[in-house]
Amino acid sequence: MAETSIIFSDVNERQGVFSRRVFLMGGVVAFGLFALTGRLAQLQLIEGGKYRRLSSANQFNYRLIPPPRGQILDRNGVVIAGNRPSFSVLVMRSQVKDIDETLDQIAYVLPQTLLRRRAILRDINQSRRFAPTAIATDLNWEDFAKVNLYASTIPGVDVSMDEVRVYHYGGAFSHVIGYVGKISDKDLKAETEAAGDEEQLDPILLHPGFRIGKQGIEKAFDKDLRGVAGARKIEVNATGNIIAEDSDGMRPATPGEDVTLTLDAEIQQRALEVFGEDSGGAVLMNIHTGEVLCMMSAPSFDPNLFVSGISSKAYGLLRDYERLPLLDKCIGSTFAPGSTFKVATALALLQAGVDPSERVVCSGSYRYGNTTFACHKRGGHGPQNVHDAIKNSCDVYFYHMCNRPGAGPDGIARTARALGMGHIFENFEISGQKKGTIPDREYKRTAFKNDPKWHLGETLSVAIGQGYVTTSALQLCTYIARIANGKKAVEPYLVKKIGSVEKVPFKDFKDLPFSREHLDIVRAGMVAVSNDVTGTAYRNSRLNLGNIEMAGKTGTAQVRSYKGVANRRNEGIPWKLRDHGLFVAFAPADAPKYAIAVIVQHGMGGSMFAAPKAREIMKLALIKDPEMQARIIQPMPIDPSLANAPDQELTSDAPPDTIDIPTPPANPQP
Amino acid sequence: MAESALTRPGQRDRYQNKFVQIDWMLCLMMSLIAGMGGLVLYSVGGMSWEPWAYDHIFRYGLFFVIMIGLSMVNLSVWLSLSYWIYGASLLLLIAVELFGKVKMGAQRWLDIGITDIQPSEFMKLAIVLALARWYHENSAKDANWSWKLLVPIFMIMMPFTLVAHQPDLGTAMLILITGVAVMIAAGLNWKAIATAVGAGVVAIPFVFTFVLHDYQAKRITTFLDPESDPSGSGYHILQSKIAMGSGGLLGKGLGLGSQSQLNFLPEKHTDFIMAAVSEELGFVGGASVFLLYGLVIFMALRIAMLSHSHFGRLAVAGTIATFAVYVLINGAMVMGLAPVVGVPMPLLSYGGSVMLTVMVAFGLVQGVKVHRYQELPRQNSIFARFE
Repeated sequence: MAETSIIFSDVNERQGVFSRRVFLMGGVVAFGLFALTGRLAQLQLIEGGKYRRLSSANQFNYRLIPPPRGQILDRNGVVIAGNRPSFSVLVMRSQVKDIDETLDQIAYVLPQTLLRRRAILRDINQSRRFAPTAIATDLNWEDFAKVNLYASTIPGVDVSMDEVRVYHYGGAFSHVIGYVGKISDKDLKAETEAAGDEEQLDPILLHPGFRIGKQGIEKAFDKDLRGVAGARKIEVNATGNIIAEDSDGMRPATPGEDVTLTLDAEIQQRALEVFGEDSGGAVLMNIHTGEVLCMMSAPSFDPNLFVSGISSKAYGLLRDYERLPLLDKCIGSTFAPGSTFKVATALALLQAGVDPSERVVCSGSYRYGNTTFACHKRGGHGPQNVHDAIKNSCDVYFYHMCNRPGAGPDGIARTARALGMGHIFENFEISGQKKGTIPDREYKRTAFKNDPKWHLGETLSVAIGQGYVTTSALQLCTYIARIANGKKAVEPYLVKKIGSVEKVPFKDFKDLPFSREHLDIVRAGMVAVSNDVTGTAYRNSRLNLGNIEMAGKTGTAQVRSYKGVANRRNEGIPWKLRDHGLFVAFAPADAPKYAIAVIVQHGMGGSMFAAPKAREIMKLALIKDPEMQARIIQPMPIDPSLANAPDQELTSDAPPDTIDIPTPPANPQP
Repeated sequence: MAESALTRPGQRDRYQNKFVQIDWMLCLMMSLIAGMGGLVLYSVGGMSWEPWAYDHIFRYGLFFVIMIGLSMVNLSVWLSLSYWIYGASLLLLIAVELFGKVKMGAQRWLDIGITDIQPSEFMKLAIVLALARWYHENSAKDANWSWKLLVPIFMIMMPFTLVAHQPDLGTAMLILITGVAVMIAAGLNWKAIATAVGAGVVAIPFVFTFVLHDYQAKRITTFLDPESDPSGSGYHILQSKIAMGSGGLLGKGLGLGSQSQLNFLPEKHTDFIMAAVSEELGFVGGASVFLLYGLVIFMALRIAMLSHSHFGRLAVAGTIATFAVYVLINGAMVMGLAPVVGVPMPLLSYGGSVMLTVMVAFGLVQGVKVHRYQELPRQNSIFARFE
């Protein structure tokens, strides 16, 4: 049967085809399964490490614990810069799926965030991928409690209780200790460079609550104050909710070190008060150690404004105010020292061999070449020796003497530099010092290409602290400290302790190249300035603290040219054109301990406007000093040996660097 | 009692004889896979029998009994019912199109009172039966270029279109692949296959732009670059890869997989269960599962070769092709080699209707094993009269 055979052959044929096809199918499946197993091996065995990391990044989250910033204390342990708690709400961008929805949810609890929506979104977009963004800061307790309750249900939202810097003394310390602020891109770049690369960067720097020192001590000791961030290791699920906290992974934050300053908060505060509206600076230091007890620049500003970010409007007002509150007038700006410089000039003259008893007759003016140089006293001071010239601040004496052989510009400059002017104190902790200028022939050669030769007439200006001479208040104070010390070239410093480690200041001060005799003469001149009835500051620099006297020197530095000005009086002319008033002093006159320099910018006269301020500041420093207290609060009856002791004048046999302290009785009676 | 082609037919029809003929080794392999599924479901359920592991094991047990029962059914019954099953499934699909319930944006379910059923699941089996019967009743040359090629193509395209329109592209593709697999196994010549493949390639851009829903197109684009959007649509693939990769050689241990336990792994109990297996049991566990699947597939293909009837051969080949496609696509998907399509891992994933389909299909496979010597007549072809 033909059909049957066809069927059979057909059956055989399709069975054959089927078998081949099934083998093929089996081959394809086997290949597929091998490929899958291979892929499995690739994922699990070869790339396993990468995925294990990703897996634990999924599972575990590190929440940074910002370290409390170290406090800044004054010399007596009074907190100048501390911390206060602040509550804020953070958003972790990497854990948020829909940021708009999340912000809506937060706005439900904190309606104030609605108004800032645009700014918040901008911040979030600018933040780094794994850094949280603060969307509301400084919440009150009620809002914080509300958010805290609610935030745990919103993925990627976290509340944090941070500490915020607070400056308890407002403006009194704003220039010295500076302030902290949000880390800027520039700061971050600098930190990244310091760390090597971005991986090494301390992640706390990206924390929104973190503040970096921007100025002054806060900047100079930022590393010490900063501390080390801690971390909480938490386990989260896919929606970002916290499943568990891993207590083994908990690393507590290490608080920053406290920095103790040499400054005294009360003196600093007093300095700010006495300046009032006036612009200028005051520096007070210990002449033996170089500790700066007061360094205040006025007018000041509230550094607390900068902590959470100052508004550009407020910043603009501070920046544009003509009395320059943002400028540190103690170190960051230089002034002509005026007559306060004469002590240095006098010392230079004595060093050059000028006889201290040599007199120059002051007739009120001095003619040099074609120019008439006027003394500040129109009628003249009459015959003046060096003591009188300091006491009366006689210009003519210095005009006459300044070009004596051995003195001249180079001699004066050498002395002034040895006294601390014209250079930056390398070891001073905070940055921003201005060098100022102490001119000599070399200076003229390099600075004035068109007129490189020193004209002797220029020495006349220099001798009275005008002309090219500029100094900062800190330099002036150091200069007086060195005059008062006499032996060592003390250098100022601000930081006493870091943490509990006493900071050893530079002990090895260089010796001063001045003879004691000469120093005694200029010091006696300064004593007379304050205590002689005819001294320029007699009325304004008497301390009224028993036998403790101040020895000072006034200065009035002209800002405008007097040429063609009939009336040299400062009243009624624009503030900017008024003379600077300066006063430098040390106290006690008999056994110096403190030196002070006060500059009142456009403060007209040094005697009238700077000396009273210096007196008030110095007075407080002396009253606060236990050694001085023992001298002021004298037990009754007065020890006869003390009563007979000379206290009006500094005698040459009383070495100024040794202090004769009367031993207080065992039972002091008031 | 050893059975052979020479065993008397009457003796073969005894149930105790049939029962012995069931491929128990295949049953063991399937049970191992299902048991592994139960174990991992226990783990991802938070080391608890609820909500998944208990259901999974119970269902497997229940459906295993059904499978054994179905394996007793004579092949001639399957043959005679095959078109009816196909027709009924097609009608149900049409019913879904008309009255179906919409769940998650797709109209796939039909509410039959007790529960919701998904007729596209039945169609996977029905298409195999219908095509197997068609090729059983037609000669080898009918599988090649001829007008008769239109009938199976029509049989495939009708359910494909209906299911794709639900839209359930994954199942539609499975129906298509199953149908084509049967056609190829039946001897479709390479010229036809090449033509179809060529046409498919040409059609891809059109399908992409005009046919696919946005979310379907997006699945494919994110598949191509999953890491571009880690918390968006590529999230599933990336998290699955992290889960598997972090498992390493021996795995993190049952109940200790952070990805699956903390919900980073999506659909950890259904489509992505393979990732959970690999995370907790490591490469050893994952490779063992693939090995078990391989054994199941090869044992089933051997059964296909043993069958004396062409219907039996094709039915097993088609069924196993579907099964293999499930395994390969799911495996490729969880490891980031294929786009995310809703294809579960058969026997391992949690889910009743897929399990039922698979077990019914294996009932058919076991039936072919049991009735491998049965010859089936070809003359009842409805087209025979035209020849």
